[in-house]
Amino acid sequence: MEFLANLAQGFIGLFQKGGEVFVSLVSGIVPLLIVLMTAVNALIALIGVERIEGVGKYAGKPGILPTIVRYTVLPFLSVFFLTNPMAYTMGRFLPERLKPAFYDSAVSFVHPPLGLFPHVNPGEIFVWAGIAKGITDLKLNIGDLAIRYFLVGLVVIFIRGLLTEYITKIMMGRKASDTAAAEAAAGEAAAA
Amino acid sequence: MGALTKLLEKIGRSVGKVVGVLYQSGRDSIDQVIKNVLPFMAFISLVIGIILKTGIGDLLANALKPLAGNPVGLIVMSLIIGLPVLSPLLGPGAVIAQIIGTLLGVQIGTKAIPASIALPALFAINPQVGCDFIPVGLALGEAEPETVEIGVPAVLFSRLVTGPVSVIIAWVASIGMYPQ
Repeated sequence: MEFLANLAQGFIGLFQKGGEVFVSLVSGIVPLLIVLMTAVNALIALIGVERIEGVGKYAGKPGILPTIVRYTVLPFLSVFFLTNPMAYTMGRFLPERLKPAFYDSAVSFVHPPLGLFPHVNPGEIFVWAGIAKGITDLKLNIGDLAIRYFLVGLVVIFIRGLLTEYITKIMMGRKASDTAAAEAAAGEAAAA
Repeated sequence: MGALTKLLEKIGRSVGKVVGVLYQSGRDSIDQVIKNVLPFMAFISLVIGIILKTGIGDLLANALKPLAGNPVGLIVMSLIIGLPVLSPLLGPGAVIAQIIGTLLGVQIGTKAIPASIALPALFAINPQVGCDFIPVGLALGEAEPETVEIGVPAVLFSRLVTGPVSVIIAWVASIGMYPQ
């Protein structure tokens, strides 16, 4: 009997611990999240989403400055105003060859702002909040980690955009020469 | 008198608009929290509760330590997660990244893993971000099917390089933060 009672105690204990974790998560994260999300959502509604479209058009132009904008400013604005997953619709202003790189850049920025702007992707907040909770448990300054995550994120999406743009260019060139070769071969076969 | 009424009406209108926007924003936030955030918290709490209570946590800590406890291990981790075959499988809902992140957070909280590793770890758990979503994401950007055909492998191969690179950059950028 005592064994059964211990078993029951252990079984319930599993979920008691889970309950404690749940309460600490809800009280630690949800209140700030709700208020902050309300503020940012209101800000976005008052500014108007359509205002960032000009940046999208500018980012499709050739040149160094539009390239920098395309893989830093544009992903940030898209993610901030349109959030995951609508942020990727900003790719429609870019030429085809740049679309994969922009997607790569934008999708890689749906987590780095979470420490500052959780409204961008609240459904995946634990990519940030999981590790951040360890830092708060140690009573260390969380703002430091949040701002560095954001800034390093910007650097990373810039590199990611450049590299993916380059790989896309090579692959598109290879495919074009492949189709040309295939057409030439087909032409020869037809001639023979 | 007419001018005053007009002014009052204008003020009333703009205040009404702002209040309406704020109220709607509040409603959206609550919706988001109930639909997306709380369910995930329930799921994470269950996993963490069982892990902590059963002692699996200690086993996992020992298993994760060689990978997560130092920069080289984190680079290896980002390489594995960023493999073009694995990354689309690990992507959906960022569930894997969220679970590994939460486990690492618990270990950081108990000082089993140093806090200085937090920033590179945030990047090491996430080289697969969006790899499951490339065709849909490109379609949202109104890309042609030919672009999608090339875009999928282009992004996947790029991650193999930029995954580890992001960990290195984050490691350099975290110098001076959270000294032991």
